[in-house]
Amino acid sequence: MTADPALRIVIVDESPLRAAILEEGLREAGYRNVLRLPERHDLLARLHAIDPDVIVIDLEDPSRDVIEQMFQVSREVKRPIAMFVDQSDSSTIAAAIDAGVSAYIVDGLKKERVKPIIDMTISRFRAFARLREELEQTRTELEERKTIDRAKGILMKMKGLDEPQAYALLRRTAMNEKRRLVDIAQSVITAAELLK
Amino acid sequence: MRRLSIGFIPLTDAAVVIACAERGFAAAEGLRLDLHREVSWANIRDKVNVGLLDGAHMLAPLAIASSLGLGHVRVPLVAPFALNLNGNAITVANALFEAMQATGEDLAGAEGAARALGQVARQRLEDGQDPLTFATVYPFSTHTYMLRHLLAAAGLDPDRDVRLVVVPPPYTVENLRSGLIHGFCVGSPWNSVAVEAGVGRVLLLGSEIFARAPEKVLGVHARFANSEPGVLAQLVRALDAAARWCDQPQSHEELAALLAEPRHLGLPRDMLTRALAGRLKGAGEAIARSDVDFLVMHRNGANRPDPAHALWIYSQMVRARQAQFSADAAHEAMQVYQPALYDGALGTHGAPSAVEPDPVGTRFGMPFRPEDIEGYLAEVDRG
Repeated sequence: MTADPALRIVIVDESPLRAAILEEGLREAGYRNVLRLPERHDLLARLHAIDPDVIVIDLEDPSRDVIEQMFQVSREVKRPIAMFVDQSDSSTIAAAIDAGVSAYIVDGLKKERVKPIIDMTISRFRAFARLREELEQTRTELEERKTIDRAKGILMKMKGLDEPQAYALLRRTAMNEKRRLVDIAQSVITAAELLK
Repeated sequence: MRRLSIGFIPLTDAAVVIACAERGFAAAEGLRLDLHREVSWANIRDKVNVGLLDGAHMLAPLAIASSLGLGHVRVPLVAPFALNLNGNAITVANALFEAMQATGEDLAGAEGAARALGQVARQRLEDGQDPLTFATVYPFSTHTYMLRHLLAAAGLDPDRDVRLVVVPPPYTVENLRSGLIHGFCVGSPWNSVAVEAGVGRVLLLGSEIFARAPEKVLGVHARFANSEPGVLAQLVRALDAAARWCDQPQSHEELAALLAEPRHLGLPRDMLTRALAGRLKGAGEAIARSDVDFLVMHRNGANRPDPAHALWIYSQMVRARQAQFSADAAHEAMQVYQPALYDGALGTHGAPSAVEPDPVGTRFGMPFRPEDIEGYLAEVDRG
């Protein structure tokens, strides 16, 4: 068991779904002090009050620059020093950036204690990205299906075709013009609207 | 054709890299630039570090902080090209502006503005109110050093008498409106965005504080500069040609349209045209403040990285207590600025014109003395 249950981990993420997935993963891994900050309002003051050991933040959140202010002041005793514990560990840094996550870690934390958190976060970010992609793909497919159905309906009505014939016509035209079936379908709908 | 990934933050002074990629200047040098719009300076630094970006539009102080390992792991960066000088302004909330006017000081000049600011800030503290809060975009930025210079001139201690926070440019307007901050120093066109949203007034242009302040550079990893000097030279030449075009007033309409595109800045074209010309609106329709040198992208040798500018940045870091002075670090800071790479690429030799004694042209307060940085630091914030 590498998890250190006492570590204070803060998740800054405007996506409630991803934050929930992350929090769940960290809790499953045995971390008890996991806190979510969904809002950027007065972020720095809140982080100072919580005084976390690790801050995990979405790479695409502009508030990263706010967090960086925490470690510009050399007079502060305890402060996060870096995005990662050890600058020699560039493969972890690259993997995290690639996955869209950034993590700030308080100076003095040993690499072994942080590595499982980072690894878990990276895999959860990836899983979330996949989930979103799949959702997006499903939605696109559904919309394309509807477009093709509408085009088929138009062809059936205007040219007196049955459904398989209408579909075959769309398909043949797409192949001849080297375009996607859905694009041909969209052209049919546009043309029908113009000719109305 | 060699492809390079170049990062930028949506600001007016990303103009040179955007024009370089989109108006044929890169192609003329056999390069293709893939532009990546980023949301934070931390992203820019980290992506250059791990090689996801070959180079980026970068705050000059960020390049130096990164190379010195200040506040972050040490990432050795090189600046072979300065993208611009100046381009910032200080904006204050309407209420603060009115309070400053009520002091009777002449706010048209920087010194009057500084005195008025000092009076208002001290009065707040005497009245037991929260200190005034000012924002910049990043701790290691010319914005931070300009604001601190003004506060020092106002007789204020920037770390005790006011609060300094970081607010990303797109959030500045809502923060000013909600009263979380009372003013900010930020790059163009975000000052105009606040003014046109009716929440603030431009107090001073950056060029009214320093006549020639370093601002953004092309930052690349030292590993790229060392391994592919030929490609870097092509990039420097392409940027130089782009910068020459951007700096000409007759290009401004076309440039503003290019910057206004949603994939670049996604902000109103008129506002960008005015920013390029250095004409910033005040309250209502009038042009309140105007300076042809508000943003300098090419003329007067602006693109040749001047190591004296790097030294000024380092000295401001020491002044802001972001770094402790050491002669070695000062030397290292100067090494980030590489005029030799610029000269090598363009066949130029040395600085183009007679060098001013103060390379940043300090308009008020103690002038910078690059030849005597320790003496300057000892005297600058005394009394």
